[in-house]
Amino acid sequence: MSLEPWTTKYRPRTSKDVAGNKPAIEKLRDWIDSWSKGRPTKAAVLLYGPAGVGKTSVTEALARERGWDLVEINASDKRSGDILAKVAGLASTQSTLFSKGRLILLDEVDGINLRADQGAVATILQIIKETQYPLILTANDPWDPKTRPLREACLQIELKRLGVRDGLPLLRNILNQEGVKANEDALRLILDRDRGDIRSILNDIQLLSSRRRSLTIEDIDLLSGRDRTESIFEVLRIIFNSRTTASARRALSISDVDQEMLFQWIFENAPYQIPKPKELEEAMSALAESDLYFGRIKKTQSWHLLSYALDLMTAGVAIAKQTSLSGWVPMRFPQKISSMSRTRSIRDIRKKAAASIGVRSHVSVRRAQQLYFPLLRFIYEHNLDEYERIAVSLDAKEELDDLLSNEMRPPN
Amino acid sequence: MEAALWTEKYRPKTLDQIVDQEEIVSRLKEFVTRGSMPHSLFAGPPGTGKTTAALCLAHDLFGERFQDVFMELNASDERGIDVVRTTVKEFARMASLSQVPFKILVLDEADNMTNDAQAALRRTMEKYTETCRFILCCNYSGRIIEPIQSRCALFRFTPLPESKIVEHLHNIAKQEGLKITESGLKSVVEVAEGDLRKGINTLQAAASMSKGITEEAVYQVVGRAKPTDVHEMLTHAMKGDFIKAREELRQLLVKYGLSGSEIVRQIHSEIFRLPVPEKKRISLIEAVGEIDYRLVQGGDEEIQLSALLAKLASDA
Repeated sequence: MSLEPWTTKYRPRTSKDVAGNKPAIEKLRDWIDSWSKGRPTKAAVLLYGPAGVGKTSVTEALARERGWDLVEINASDKRSGDILAKVAGLASTQSTLFSKGRLILLDEVDGINLRADQGAVATILQIIKETQYPLILTANDPWDPKTRPLREACLQIELKRLGVRDGLPLLRNILNQEGVKANEDALRLILDRDRGDIRSILNDIQLLSSRRRSLTIEDIDLLSGRDRTESIFEVLRIIFNSRTTASARRALSISDVDQEMLFQWIFENAPYQIPKPKELEEAMSALAESDLYFGRIKKTQSWHLLSYALDLMTAGVAIAKQTSLSGWVPMRFPQKISSMSRTRSIRDIRKKAAASIGVRSHVSVRRAQQLYFPLLRFIYEHNLDEYERIAVSLDAKEELDDLLSNEMRPPN
Repeated sequence: MEAALWTEKYRPKTLDQIVDQEEIVSRLKEFVTRGSMPHSLFAGPPGTGKTTAALCLAHDLFGERFQDVFMELNASDERGIDVVRTTVKEFARMASLSQVPFKILVLDEADNMTNDAQAALRRTMEKYTETCRFILCCNYSGRIIEPIQSRCALFRFTPLPESKIVEHLHNIAKQEGLKITESGLKSVVEVAEGDLRKGINTLQAAASMSKGITEEAVYQVVGRAKPTDVHEMLTHAMKGDFIKAREELRQLLVKYGLSGSEIVRQIHSEIFRLPVPEKKRISLIEAVGEIDYRLVQGGDEEIQLSALLAKLASDA
């Protein structure tokens, strides 16, 4: 089973791969290319449009196809003026080694919280004024009053919802690669239902096709729209509200979700659904036991153990919960699934960098991480020139850059 | 290219340049005089010069081009029995082409080898003694199986005394043009705890901020570079905030790249610092031990450790 989200797997590699919005992307590309002739009048672009149309993807693709560094700060970061000034300010004025290009992305600026991210807007304006590199801001809602000053300082480019004309070939292509059959009406329906939100569509059809290799209009009708998510919510609701082992186990039979995926959903939501610490302890302990069985199954391929894993993760959790919630608590998307592919690639990069350091400093890969990553991280934060000199001499600059610049924002 | 990491830049090249572990060095110098050496076991804590001594010995025996007849394998990266049977054997069995009578194979972190691999190694060591001498480096000689220990000359490396660390750091500071205050130096030495590599890394990190090195700078390095979040994670769990504690656990795993067993180890040592009744400590040790075992059994780090955090949170 591959848990790599299609949304990550099929991220556009170049800006030409981005579906739809050709004129807007063209405009964005022209603006970036105009930097080669010096700093344009508008040093920043506000890229706006609804969720899932590819704002971040297109920016990443533009940086990648130019071989530039992408410095990204997104909504999950704390964005007080100080931090912004430090991260983005540094990136916008300090030059890169070998004068490599750089693109700065301030993602989801409409997510700025005026109180928690004090001074952020003023700092961003300052950065726009001073930046030596193209700066891209993204937002869902460009008319949000708190970002108005930003809007005025930026060239505004809109990305529109994806229609059937651009959406259909994109979905068709991905499904072909995944070996999933789908008829055209089904795809039209899902595009229409999810209103061109490619991210949510890909999540939908990935879940649907984890069990079926062909999608019909009935599948979509039955499960898509928001039905697909309702179905997993339904399973979770049953598990977290069952009083008997039988009823909790039955939840599995109505579920189409992959079992390990369901495990992640339960693990993510247990602390929110089971507020009593004593009960949560029992539930987590059941999940840990279940996890052990999954581990043993993988190790020994003893699939008959699966039923114990499943009983523990459904009935084990259900019986642990004795006290009902007083109000409605929404279900959360499992972090593990959304960050899995990212984590895996970080691990690979980390290992590669550590191997390179290990050979040069006579220690193992494991020890290289323990001994030298903290040192390099510290130097990276305090003395970029010195850091670059060391990273180059270790022949691990590319990997280290990637690791350290990513560590500036929390993963996920 | 000149090494940019100071631990490499200032690593001694010859036995003469090693200014500590005097007794060991003098024994190694005898090997050089005789032009021969037995299989050797270098045991001692990290940062006390085991690898350096091996490199210097090879250099003094074989000259500048010693790399041709010298191989360094890291047992914890390549610890399987297959490696012993292939890489190690290949290297050991081929007679050296140059003038030297034997080659040297250094197995770093040898105490991380499985017992099977060690047993396989034992035969290889015996069979190819003529062509190859082994230097096994380890933190604990007790983890090396008896038959290997008995075939090796044992060298015990001890943590460096403060005076030696001061001497080293002074020397580096001078060559790097640093200004280091008395208290700054003292704090680096304290941080090092007899581990010279740790001392040098701390110094280099502090120097990246400013050439003037003060006590504050050193503490900034220590505070920032070393994740202290295990303590924080436990504190949150014990206050009953499981969700926050799990969030911190995820950070440790993903951001700092700590392995589950490293976190378990840190939790283990934290147990004795937590404000809990003595009886509780014992039950925590039991719980942590169980998780350590489960990780070996293939349990998922995040899930198993989360179960521990939930246990802590429920006692809050």
